[in-house]
Amino acid sequence: MNDQVKIKVADLIGSSLCISAEDGQKVFGKVEQLVREGKQVTISFENVTMLISLFLNVAIGQLYGSFGEETIRAQLKVEGLSSDDMELLKRVVDNAKKYYSNKKSYDDAWLEEDNNLEEDNNEE
Amino acid sequence: MLIPIGTIRSNCNGFDAIAEIAVKTKNVWLDSVEFDLSFCSFFEANMAAPLYAVIARLRDELNDVTITNVPAGVSTILRKNKFLSVFSQPELTDTNQTTLPFKILKLTAGDQFNDYLDTYMRGRGIPAMSEALTKRFRQSLFEIFLNATIHSQSKAGIFVCGQFYPNKHRLDFTIADAGVGIRENVRRYTRKQKLNSCKAIEWAMTEGNTTKTGNQPGGLGLKLIKDFIQMNGGKIQVVSRYGYYDFSANGESIRKMSNDFPGTCINIEINTEDTSSYCLKSELKSEDIF
Repeated sequence: MNDQVKIKVADLIGSSLCISAEDGQKVFGKVEQLVREGKQVTISFENVTMLISLFLNVAIGQLYGSFGEETIRAQLKVEGLSSDDMELLKRVVDNAKKYYSNKKSYDDAWLEEDNNLEEDNNEE
Repeated sequence: MLIPIGTIRSNCNGFDAIAEIAVKTKNVWLDSVEFDLSFCSFFEANMAAPLYAVIARLRDELNDVTITNVPAGVSTILRKNKFLSVFSQPELTDTNQTTLPFKILKLTAGDQFNDYLDTYMRGRGIPAMSEALTKRFRQSLFEIFLNATIHSQSKAGIFVCGQFYPNKHRLDFTIADAGVGIRENVRRYTRKQKLNSCKAIEWAMTEGNTTKTGNQPGGLGLKLIKDFIQMNGGKIQVVSRYGYYDFSANGESIRKMSNDFPGTCINIEINTEDTSSYCLKSELKSEDIF
């Protein structure tokens, strides 16, 4: 049984544009299932012409909600990304790690600060 | 109902003037609304998108909207960018091809938006920018466009247009919707019913903050755009309800407008002469990512 699996994103979503949350969710679903089964997964971005953070948040960032960093590092690879898109993915991954490690803390900190101000700024 | 429209530029006053039109026409339905441009000496082309956000609402209320007395200079601009075609006025060939025409796109039209950019940003008067700059700019536009499709909750669609100003080496692109606005989304998410527009925009511009539900990380798109704009020397404006925000290399500012803009509009302006490579000095490998 082959434990190496390659997911060609463009083929899976039927488009060279990695832009929508729905398509991201489709990729996430496949990757999550395979990682759970203990496979070595390579996500290939070959033939992708447009990639944005919104798609990557859903497709890859979301994995940090299901698995620990060690698991992801051990089982996941990406290929076919240009250096600036690698930089984008790195930002997405760092953001996702922060998000799942202290979820809602951004909001809570921000809301605390805002508590004193809301009455003064009421619009309607 | 007759609504006079004066000069509209892509700045806080321009957005406020458009919001004022929305306020004046708020309860009008099954009526005729005439926008009289007699005293409009200048209309910056990209402002057609936020103006249409107001018009879309009027059309939703089954009003008949007409645009009249358009001075020659303004008419040239608004016919070239096909905005007046929406009101059955003849379009004008854009001989310099510096226009990215006004277009109404459906919420599910990511592919259509891509075709639009392919058609109008290639091999025309729009300058041949470096590959890296073109790519970053397009990525930014997609981030904004897709954000609008997710957050606006408006059936009227997304309104886009752009304009290249060769002498100023400036390319403006504007994406507007007639949706619920940033304030509404942030109020719902944070359960702070009294939150004002400026605070809501500030919240939305903070890295990591997103109102998108579904337990997914997000809130990175606008931060990435800000970083890009900073390096490029461009500008981004975000207008939603009473809030006007802008960010450029000169700094960040937010202020309250006098009038309520019914939706959200994001204008991004890039410096087309920029030749930065926008790449990391050290190249990341797959194992450095996770």
